[in-house]
Amino acid sequence: MAAHAATGAKTATNDVSHKRRKGPGALATVYLVIYNVVMTAGWLVIAVGLVRSYLAKGSYHGLYYSIEKPLKFFQTGAVLEVGIVPSSVVLTGFQVMSRVFLTWAVTHSVREVQNEDSVLLFVVAWTITEIIRYSFYTFSLLNHLPYLIKWARYTLFIVLYPMGVTGELLTIYSALPYVQKTGLYSITLPNKYNFSFDYHTFLILTMISYIPLFPQLYFHMMRQRKKVLGHLEEHSKNE
Amino acid sequence: WGRAVVFFEVEILDAKTKDKLCFLDKVRPPPRVYPQWYPARQSIRLDPKGKSLKDEDVLQQLPVGTTATFYFRDLGAQISWVTVFLTEYTGPLIIYLLFYFRVPFIYAPKYDFTTSKHWVVHLACMCHSFHYVKRLLETLFVHRFSHGTMPLRNIFKNCTYYWGFAAWMAYYINHPLYTPPMYGEQQVTIALMIFLFCQIGNFSIHIALRNLRPPGSKTRKIPYPTKNPFTWVFLLVSCPNYTYELGSWLGFTMMTQCLPVAFFTFVGFVQMTVWAKGKHRSYLKEFRDYPTLRSPILPFIL
Repeated sequence: MAAHAATGAKTATNDVSHKRRKGPGALATVYLVIYNVVMTAGWLVIAVGLVRSYLAKGSYHGLYYSIEKPLKFFQTGAVLEVGIVPSSVVLTGFQVMSRVFLTWAVTHSVREVQNEDSVLLFVVAWTITEIIRYSFYTFSLLNHLPYLIKWARYTLFIVLYPMGVTGELLTIYSALPYVQKTGLYSITLPNKYNFSFDYHTFLILTMISYIPLFPQLYFHMMRQRKKVLGHLEEHSKNE
Repeated sequence: WGRAVVFFEVEILDAKTKDKLCFLDKVRPPPRVYPQWYPARQSIRLDPKGKSLKDEDVLQQLPVGTTATFYFRDLGAQISWVTVFLTEYTGPLIIYLLFYFRVPFIYAPKYDFTTSKHWVVHLACMCHSFHYVKRLLETLFVHRFSHGTMPLRNIFKNCTYYWGFAAWMAYYINHPLYTPPMYGEQQVTIALMIFLFCQIGNFSIHIALRNLRPPGSKTRKIPYPTKNPFTWVFLLVSCPNYTYELGSWLGFTMMTQCLPVAFFTFVGFVQMTVWAKGKHRSYLKEFRDYPTLRSPILPFIL
């Protein structure tokens, strides 16, 4: 769910209906271009870090540590997208929040899961998705979008999204026993505010919430794909 | 946004003589009748994106020429306000009592059907129940609704909100490990005073608003303070019913010293502020002489 990328500095709906919308002003455009370039670069750094680390170690294991800091930095930085984006604040906010949740409240907080392969699974999915997505926005803003990027953005999600979701769910699942054992982020009764919170149960509920939410987001992207790429026959492939 | 807009042209005939009273462009009989679009879900408007015409609107007084086109929009399945209110308020009443009486499967089995040893818990149950009984009675006998119906999906949304929060609050207040308020009897007594004061206040406002509107009518007038001192807050606030409601829940929060109750109070306050601001704005739009001293919900503040 957090792996998918329908939102960002420009959305698919914005692409399709951009003739009707006013573009951002000159200053806003400069800001957005810089933002998107920086984010593209950041995720490229993560990608390169993963590859180098893999080559050095010779295995897929424990690659998280080599990119932990840039991952946290650039994923958290996506908070800046919320509200400056034409698409619904609710949708963007939700996306970013779930990514940040996975980064900090699960992977960072539960050290024992950091070695899991499931972490690599979602990190790779996020990395590829974000590199394509942010370069897509950059090129769109500069009005020079290579068809390949547009195609990639609206096609690769078909694989990357389920891949990311699988990685996320497996990671949360593997965190469960440690959370239960240590009572991480949990409050028990009695206390003077008469409140309790069981993080273990909360994580299970989070996992369950993927069931209604993931299909909705996935099929939304499918519909966007038809709208954007469905014009193959009518329009020229050169942007 | 989501629903198809169907274009019609309208011809008005006299029901008895079948004379054409109003002939509007080409008359084309509808291809079929649409019985599923009962009146409550019809929205007829002059502009596809405009506001709905009211039941009371008269054709001759509408800004149309000799040819008129109305746009129909299906509002979706509708449900009456009274039904929604009764359902959403009965839930909390019953749900809270289930927790109060500690029915099985909520708390550990050794506590089944026991009662709390703290007297504030009994008081809280009485206040919570009183509040929802009051709401039910007001729905049946006091309120005069402008709209007959609302979209059906609202009942699911509203019931989830009310029933969910009621269960969440009731769970902690009636819990065997409940901790009574920090400042004991003093705190509870003051909280009870606040709660009762605001319940009476809220009721007074509902009565005052009812009396603004003759039975069966949908007229709108500016509410003013009456002889009842609880209504004098109309001098400073457009929607004192919400102000008093906030006060009641603040009282209940103080009484129970329970964080979930504080959350519920806060969320309710946010929603009521949105409603109050909307109401305040429409008062200002509708009435040139609307008192300028008034704020939507909190005197001078909000």
